[in-house]
Amino acid sequence: MNQLQLPRRHFLIAAGSAGMATALSDTLNIPSAFAQEPKPLPPYAAWKNADAMIVHSNNTLETKREFFGTSGITPEDELYIRNNVPAPDESIIADRDAWEVEIEGVRNPGKKTLADLKKLGLETTAMVLQCSGNGRGFHKHKASGTPWTVGAAGNVIWSGVPLREVVKAMGGLADGRNFITGTGGEELPKNIDPKTIMVERSVPISALDDALLAWEVNGKPISLAHGGPLRLVFPGYYGVNNVKYIKKLAFTEKESDATIQRTGYRVRPPGQKGSPDQPSMWEMTVKSWVTHPLKETDQGPVLIYGVAFGGNRSVKSVAVSTDDGNTWQEARLVGPDLGKYAWRTFVLAADLKPGTHIIASRATDVAGNTQPEEFAENERGYGHNGWRAHAVAVTVV
Amino acid sequence: MSQYIRVWALLLFTWLPFESAGAESLELGKLVFLEKAEPPCSLCHTLKSAGSTGEIGPNLDELKPDEERVSNAVKNGVGTMPPYDEMLSEAEIAAVASYVAEAVLRENGR
Repeated sequence: MNQLQLPRRHFLIAAGSAGMATALSDTLNIPSAFAQEPKPLPPYAAWKNADAMIVHSNNTLETKREFFGTSGITPEDELYIRNNVPAPDESIIADRDAWEVEIEGVRNPGKKTLADLKKLGLETTAMVLQCSGNGRGFHKHKASGTPWTVGAAGNVIWSGVPLREVVKAMGGLADGRNFITGTGGEELPKNIDPKTIMVERSVPISALDDALLAWEVNGKPISLAHGGPLRLVFPGYYGVNNVKYIKKLAFTEKESDATIQRTGYRVRPPGQKGSPDQPSMWEMTVKSWVTHPLKETDQGPVLIYGVAFGGNRSVKSVAVSTDDGNTWQEARLVGPDLGKYAWRTFVLAADLKPGTHIIASRATDVAGNTQPEEFAENERGYGHNGWRAHAVAVTVV
Repeated sequence: MSQYIRVWALLLFTWLPFESAGAESLELGKLVFLEKAEPPCSLCHTLKSAGSTGEIGPNLDELKPDEERVSNAVKNGVGTMPPYDEMLSEAEIAAVASYVAEAVLRENGR
């Protein structure tokens, strides 16, 4: 070993860039100086399966692509996390039934505890939970935000009371209500206008029929990390709309004027500013990705599998290509159909010869929408469902 | 011996951008971080160099964003973080971006 000893601090200052760092590292033969140590799980998510997660930051944890499995359900300990502001203190789940949510925009507004809500009705819904920015890492421009690839998504089963039952119990909707607006119970710094950073999202009133106030996920009370004790759930809608620690639920005439709604989560061409007249990240679109094989496999028979969903409607079919999109074969959907909002596992038996194969999947929903080959860039890198970017290059030996 | 010359040449070369970063710009960047932005970056972000311990947004010492990433985030906002492009001038955004990128590199390395 011919290593040059430098004080670490000076060395790092001098390095300047990752590329130069690599050059220096090679020159100096310092194997670990720039190796990215995986970040540890944050305390509120310490119970997660660390092997399955990529920790981007304390509030952004991604499921590794090889961990999605084939049974159709994402375990809570391998489900991604995207918290826009830090989770509240754990004390809020000490007495779950005592959690209160304020309900406005109904004829008889008022507060309901979780214990009250549990008497109003019960529904169970399987659905894809997916961050608006899932696939941002595939965008060619350097969109701000976490560079998720495929792992800011999972398929989970929520249990709770249908929102329509809550509305019914409170005398029905007040007149002229066009949106459902949920406000999270996160604590915000006092010396700031709360509208600036609060998590408050509005979705169109048409989402009422299938929405839930959920207290259970995959058969267990919802963890703090995923929004327990109570989470507002809109099947078919992007993750951000599913407000955690729901503290206030309002049926409103207009969309929220909080920054996260007004200019945040708006789709526009690169370089443009966010504005309320641009499309909001509401309903999800058709999408799929291969989860096996991902890097290398033996020549001969191989099962290619992955997950596919239609967003706000059922997925109908999935085609798989092993030759960079030149030819496609229809894959078989596997396992139980958990409803239109859930994802399906797909599988295709292939026989691969040695070499590099570009393996892609392309899903179509029941309305005939198919994943595009390329996805138009947008400023914040939202909603990528282009099949080419989601393809994998597999070496067959 | 030739390896040592190569090493020091590399070090000298990579030092230059920092020498030319501009102390005034970095001072302005720190001022924007702590005071000029409203709400200030320091309210929500931890950054050792600025002595800030905000816990609403990502810890910048851990996130280690480069200049372009900071600049994009400040201009356009990220998640609940509001865009600052109407409040801050381009020079101020550039200054805070280079200040944060330089500070995290200096304090934490890559």
